[in-house]
Amino acid sequence: MSLLSLLIFLPIVAGILILLLPSAWQQRYKYVALGAVLLQMLISAYIYINFDNTLSGIADQSTFQLVERIPWIRLNLGALGNLEIDYFLGIDGLSMPFLVLTSLVMLVALLASWDIQKNLKGYFALFLLLDCAVMGVFSALDFFLFYIFYELMLLPLYFLIGMWGGVRREYAAIKFFLYTLLGSVFMLLVIIGLYFSVTDPETGGHTFNMLHMMNPANYAQDSIFSVIAGQEIFGVSARLLAFIVLFVAFAIKVPIVPLHTWLPDAHVEAPTPVSIILAGVLLKIGGYGILRVCLSIFPDAAIQSAWWLGLIGVASILYGALNALAQRDLKRLIAYSSISHMGFVLLGIASATSEGISGAMMQMISHGFLSSMLFFLVGVIYERVHNREIPNFRGLALIMPRYTVFVMIAFFASLGLPGFSAFIAEAFSLIGAFNSQSINGLLPRWMAVAGSVGILLGASYLLWTLQRMFFGETRLWGGDEWKAKLTDVNGREVFALTSLALMSLALGILPSLAFDKMNASVLELIQLMNIR
Amino acid sequence: MDTFTKETISLLALIATLLPLFSFAGILLVPGSRDRGSFFSILNIATSLLISVVIFLNVWNKQPIHQQFDWFIIGDWRFKIGILINNLSALMLLLISFIATLVHVYSTKYMEGDPYIFRYWAYLGLFCFSMFGLVITDNLLLLYMFWELVGFSSYLLIGFWFTRETAVQANKKAFLMNRLGDLGFLTGIMIVFSQFQTLDVNLLFSEGGFFKRSLVQGDLWYFSSNHMPAVWLTIAGLAFFFGATAKSAQFPLHTWLPDAMEGPTSVSSLIHAATMVAAGVFLIARIYPIFNPTVLIVIASIGAFTAFMAATIALTQNDIKRILAYSTISQLGFMMLAMGVGAVAPAIFHLVTHAFFKCLLFLAAGAVIHELHHLKDKKGLDFDHQDIRNMGGLRKFMPITFITMLLASLALIGLPFTSGYLSKDAILIQSFEWAESQGSIARIIPYTALFASWMTAFYVARLIFKVFFGELRLNVLFGQAFSLHEAPVAMKSVLVVLAIFCLFPLFSLNPFHASHAWIIEGLPYFSTTPTVESYHILIPAVVSIAAIILILIGYKWYGKNEKAPDYTKAAVFRFSQEQWYLNRLYKVMFVDSVLGLARTAFSFDRTIVDGIVNFSGKIIIVLSAVSEWLDRKVVDGLVNGVASVARTIGNFVRHFQTGRLQHYLLFMILILLTFFVLKYFSQAI
Repeated sequence: MSLLSLLIFLPIVAGILILLLPSAWQQRYKYVALGAVLLQMLISAYIYINFDNTLSGIADQSTFQLVERIPWIRLNLGALGNLEIDYFLGIDGLSMPFLVLTSLVMLVALLASWDIQKNLKGYFALFLLLDCAVMGVFSALDFFLFYIFYELMLLPLYFLIGMWGGVRREYAAIKFFLYTLLGSVFMLLVIIGLYFSVTDPETGGHTFNMLHMMNPANYAQDSIFSVIAGQEIFGVSARLLAFIVLFVAFAIKVPIVPLHTWLPDAHVEAPTPVSIILAGVLLKIGGYGILRVCLSIFPDAAIQSAWWLGLIGVASILYGALNALAQRDLKRLIAYSSISHMGFVLLGIASATSEGISGAMMQMISHGFLSSMLFFLVGVIYERVHNREIPNFRGLALIMPRYTVFVMIAFFASLGLPGFSAFIAEAFSLIGAFNSQSINGLLPRWMAVAGSVGILLGASYLLWTLQRMFFGETRLWGGDEWKAKLTDVNGREVFALTSLALMSLALGILPSLAFDKMNASVLELIQLMNIR
Repeated sequence: MDTFTKETISLLALIATLLPLFSFAGILLVPGSRDRGSFFSILNIATSLLISVVIFLNVWNKQPIHQQFDWFIIGDWRFKIGILINNLSALMLLLISFIATLVHVYSTKYMEGDPYIFRYWAYLGLFCFSMFGLVITDNLLLLYMFWELVGFSSYLLIGFWFTRETAVQANKKAFLMNRLGDLGFLTGIMIVFSQFQTLDVNLLFSEGGFFKRSLVQGDLWYFSSNHMPAVWLTIAGLAFFFGATAKSAQFPLHTWLPDAMEGPTSVSSLIHAATMVAAGVFLIARIYPIFNPTVLIVIASIGAFTAFMAATIALTQNDIKRILAYSTISQLGFMMLAMGVGAVAPAIFHLVTHAFFKCLLFLAAGAVIHELHHLKDKKGLDFDHQDIRNMGGLRKFMPITFITMLLASLALIGLPFTSGYLSKDAILIQSFEWAESQGSIARIIPYTALFASWMTAFYVARLIFKVFFGELRLNVLFGQAFSLHEAPVAMKSVLVVLAIFCLFPLFSLNPFHASHAWIIEGLPYFSTTPTVESYHILIPAVVSIAAIILILIGYKWYGKNEKAPDYTKAAVFRFSQEQWYLNRLYKVMFVDSVLGLARTAFSFDRTIVDGIVNFSGKIIIVLSAVSEWLDRKVVDGLVNGVASVARTIGNFVRHFQTGRLQHYLLFMILILLTFFVLKYFSQAI
């Protein structure tokens, strides 16, 4: 059993253990989960340290690392040939950073779950199942396996929001579930189409192997997605259509404007730890999917649609930021700011330049740390007074000084203060987008300039919030009762927040910690996009 | 002193830069009493000053130092950062560390007793670190990073008294306006990177650097194999200038600076007068080759206009710090004007001289404010301790403050024998020469600046006479005789040191002519305008004589307590006092409209975007209700129908099964009868 399988199934083992433990021990469940998550953290740290920067991955199995490929399902379907599904795992520079991110975000989310009271057995079991599914998505290289993990994420999330959420939790959970399912159902059609188009060069049978799908030579001459045949569906190129379908599926996760409205509702209703996972990891699956699947399998269609991708990116940046500016609920404000920040990811990806894609990757990692931190911070006051309306608080800096320090770090890091990761990420996404015109002519230069307005708006809503909630003389809607409840952050909270802040700081000062690991893969991806 | 190698000097520069950061981290991370940090941060900044002196002696008029190392790799591009110390940065390093050290010393008394003073020391450390980094870095991206960090530390210091509503409004405004400028800076970086694939200042802007080698042909701007439309060269220049406009408080992005006076006066002195606001001027000097003639004309016009506008506003303000703030804006306008007309060296020279006299003006004003505040607290009175209408006659109580501030004022006005005379007249002379070579319309520019310089004489005279001459107006206001004290030694001594730097000998041995000032000789001249000899005598004479006349008028109106003519009703006066109504205009034009747009976007998001989602959800619910109805009534109805038909038949037939023998016999007979009847008739047929 390789490290990746261990990473994926460790949470499941812990989850089963929790299910088996008697309910009388329910206060100890969290320690079991904590043990699993800590172990996972160690494994991913080990993977990070031993990761070979020079291997590029992307389309060549031999340059992937920690590869594990076991035949899983083999069915003779008669005339349809052999069904080949592999248990195929492996990582490259595009996926490895997310393993590290996921394990840290999971740890923080677990620390945020410390005071959950309701139905602990179910909560921690679902939490760990989610952990497993996310790790699986980032390591799977067989499209069928990828899809299984992808769909497996929905189940625990649905229950976690629907059972442990806020007042309108059922609405939010159903909305989230149906919205994402809508995207992935059509994805399944494309997967099946790809399966019938691609043959394994070794066995000659059809395959779900994603790496084979990236090589145009593996497509049957007259198959639906063949590059040469140029088949059409409803008068649209089949490959373009498939790209759009896959893009929409992942874009819902990112989310992009206008497919974003599930996100604010889900965040507002979800309990703090689920918000942390949602913003910290799940949104990144959208961006990762676009890179791993849309760009790598359909590079021709990606180039063709780059202009639109860039436009959607810019629209998300500006629209998300404007909406954030209009919020009164702190959590909803941060949810909209996520939309704005994820817009940079799309803009960077659309540029198809090494700066842009590296910037987009960096932005995903950085946003993973920072949005986790932000949602954790919202959770801190919500846990204490069950309220998070911005106008209900004033002058918190006087009664919660340490908390205010963390809020300032998180806010300034998010608005792109140099020294923190978001600055590097946004700067390079924009530089890449601007450079695109000179390098490959995909994006017009005004897009980068328009996108940069987002960093001004970002500063506006965050600073305005700081001014309204934290500065000035203390005045609280709940009066002295709130004042007594609003205690400063405790040790557990300080630990979680500090580790996130340090990660962001480390990446901001030494971007090479991430850039060096992913550079070979990014270059290989651009190479792949330019070949065809 | 020449024994230092390049490596040692870069290392020293790095240490000088990191020491204040060490103060920042050390004070915030190591817990202790609330008044900790003063000794630690003064020690660090003083060490930085010493190192700066060493660096200066080793670099000035010698080979520039340039050391690089790898930062990260992105794509095929190795991102290098490093240290570039030439005359310009060595001078800036020395200037900043010197003034910062003085302000640190001054602050020990000025900020004494503040409950959160450790944060003050920490923030000052962060500021000094960012400022040092800004001047020594060799890379535009890194310069941008420090540029933003400088803005961030300014944010922290303006909002140092964070419980004051006005202070937190002001720091937000300052940060956002600077951010707006930063968008320009970032755009400039994107253009440069896209064209040259590097952000190395030395490669780009040195003699024979990439910019010199790029050329514009027709509509295209070429560099080796790259090209882009030529308009982007102009945009790049304008974009960088836009960044500088925000940081150096030039029109139209100047409105944050007067509000920034909400911070402690020592902060205003260091950051918002002497050093940070000069960063824009420094940036322009650092990247000067990027500006094409079109952009230079824009820079000159904006500079002259800002100098003029700010001077008109300073004429009527009553808050002592606000007058000085507008005066700073005005002087920065002069520097920008100088940049625009090609007088790079005089611009930097003025930056240096201005740093000393403006720092002194603020610190002296701080001493006055400090004493009045003290009086206010001691006597429990309520008055605005920054309003010059409440002051007067202070020269009797605070002679040293008075004399030093007077010297600084003379330098600000630019009278002979002061440092300001040398630098300001150098700028004016060169702008007239430039206008001569440009043609008729460009002449407006130096005349605008000339007017601004005359107005300076008047508002400075008004300030000095109102504060230090006549009688203390508080006595009249409260009907008792107050007495004030001179500032404490720590503050007083700093004022004296700075006063020395307001005089000419430290800058040029010739008090009347700047052309042999060592700073000007040490900095590159980009100007190609021909010299007009007559200007070199005429302009200083005109400026000084008019200034003296205006000072005399000021003395008559404000110094002798004679009744000054009352203009407060005039529209022009209101226009000036309301600061050209720009704050209100911006609020309506930008703040309100963006917030309105945000609210519209949100209601659009709620009703339309989310509306469509919820609507499609509802449609599906309706559809499912319809299909459920169909299923129940039609599909299931059919099934149920069949069943009920069967049941009806069954019920009907059931009645025949009565179980009585008589009934069965009767049926049998009836059936037999029917049979026979039918048989009979069928045969008959």
